[in-house]
Amino acid sequence: MQNEALLEQVQEIFRDVLDDEEIVLQETSTAEDVEGWDSLTHIQLIVAIEKHFKIKFTSKEILSWKNVGELVDCLAAKLA
Amino acid sequence: MSFNSLPFLLFFVAVFTLYWFAFREKTKAQNAFLLIASWFFYGYASLKMLPLLIGATAVFYGLGIWMKHCRSEKGASWIGTLGVVLGVGLLLAFKYLNFFIESFAALFQAMGLQTNWHTFNIILPLGLSFITFKLISYVLEIRRGKIEAETDFVAFAAYIAFFPCLLSGPIDRPQFLGQLHKTRVFDYDTAAEGMRQFLWGLAKKVLIADRCVYVIDPVWENIGEASGSSLLMAALLYTFQMYTDFSGYSDMAIGTGKLLGFRIAKNFNYPFFATNVAEYWRRWHMSLTSWLTDYVFMPLNVRFRDWGKFGMILAIVINMVLVGLWHGANWTFGAFGLYHGLLFIPLILSGAFAKKHKLKAGRLGLPKLSDLGGMVLTFLLVTVGLVIFRADSVGQAWQFLSGMAHLETLKGFYLFFLHPDFRTKTVLIIVLMVLEWRNRTVEFPLVPLKAYHWAVRYAIYLALVCLLVMLWDKNLTFLYIDF
Repeated sequence: MQNEALLEQVQEIFRDVLDDEEIVLQETSTAEDVEGWDSLTHIQLIVAIEKHFKIKFTSKEILSWKNVGELVDCLAAKLA
Repeated sequence: MSFNSLPFLLFFVAVFTLYWFAFREKTKAQNAFLLIASWFFYGYASLKMLPLLIGATAVFYGLGIWMKHCRSEKGASWIGTLGVVLGVGLLLAFKYLNFFIESFAALFQAMGLQTNWHTFNIILPLGLSFITFKLISYVLEIRRGKIEAETDFVAFAAYIAFFPCLLSGPIDRPQFLGQLHKTRVFDYDTAAEGMRQFLWGLAKKVLIADRCVYVIDPVWENIGEASGSSLLMAALLYTFQMYTDFSGYSDMAIGTGKLLGFRIAKNFNYPFFATNVAEYWRRWHMSLTSWLTDYVFMPLNVRFRDWGKFGMILAIVINMVLVGLWHGANWTFGAFGLYHGLLFIPLILSGAFAKKHKLKAGRLGLPKLSDLGGMVLTFLLVTVGLVIFRADSVGQAWQFLSGMAHLETLKGFYLFFLHPDFRTKTVLIIVLMVLEWRNRTVEFPLVPLKAYHWAVRYAIYLALVCLLVMLWDKNLTFLYIDF
């Protein structure tokens, strides 16, 4: 799957978990740019992504992402 | 050299002048000068501990370089772990060793075993808790791939020892190093804002925090004799004292940083407008809580993520106990942390913890009634926590809290507002809260002054400075200097 398509699905998950239909994600987005995305909701987002794609990230991967782009890259590598 | 002292004023005027005039736009020279000034600042406070600061800086600089040159990722990761062990070891040795010895000796005694263990005569190096947290985050950020190891020793040492934040924070992350590599050009607006923020911090400290000391301390010295209402008054005032003292200090540190052209991490964001405890911790001592969130809470939460809400509760309770214990080796700090951890449980179970509540003003520009209820409840919960925090022992905290918990307390309580000892303080606290509420969207309440006519602006500065000089109490230092 292309990264763009993945980004779109991830965006859908964000909208769902954070209960905000107006969220628009870009590869460069960080928690600072998205309202409601903080250390507490972060984990709910990760769990939702893992469930949706039926994959499991490692702790190290989760803690190393600097933005949404890196999350999506990591996701793409898992799905490949 | 406390920020509210004459030596600091003289020191800072000298640093400021040389920094901007003699070393203008020479980044490396400015960094070297900052480093020397910062080490001098530390040596002035505690010459004996200066070698420890320099030694720890050199060791962690070396660890960073070692990680950079390490070929395998696993090796670099191990060096990072070594850094964490060293940092935590430093804290344990200086801050917690005697506590462990005493606690184990007491435990063995309770089991009927006699020990003849001795505690050591250890002096806690100034600012150690703040310095070690900077050092630890440096190796962790390299290990997470978020920053590169710093090759410029002077810049690294200047970051660790940066004097505005050296003794009591805010705890800046290693990303701060980026600012040390940039050319700093004097900007009048930033410097003026720094002055205003320093003045605001000093005003909170002198006008409220220092005024409260003399009514709170006597109550604590004689809890058994004090009436329920004076205990309640002392507890409520202590919450304001702690806030105005520590946020006052932080504003002065951040203001000093701005005067030198640096952006320092934010430490407070109007915490008394938090409508629940989770929100409160996002607004109180933010540089510490965000540090622990990143390096303790998040890794735990990631690890426990399949356990649902229970995992999150476990992670938050561990995290909050560490927030408490970071302040020092006493069961009261652990109890303080545990208490706050437990307060998160209803918020996690109801899902309210994550909702960032947007404060909207209701009629007359005041908070909405439902928000105000949350604010008052949060404030009272925080006040109970600070009684535990302030007490010498858990038993004393219990004595204090149970002394407050009867109906008589409320009967005598309102009289305090009329008592000459409390009248001015109450008025000043109300003024503070109103100013904060009106300016809650800007960094600190004096920000809007910049738009005022210069004559009005300077009249306000002058009045404030005169008031501060008159009321300034040179015997009082900052509460967080002890941590």
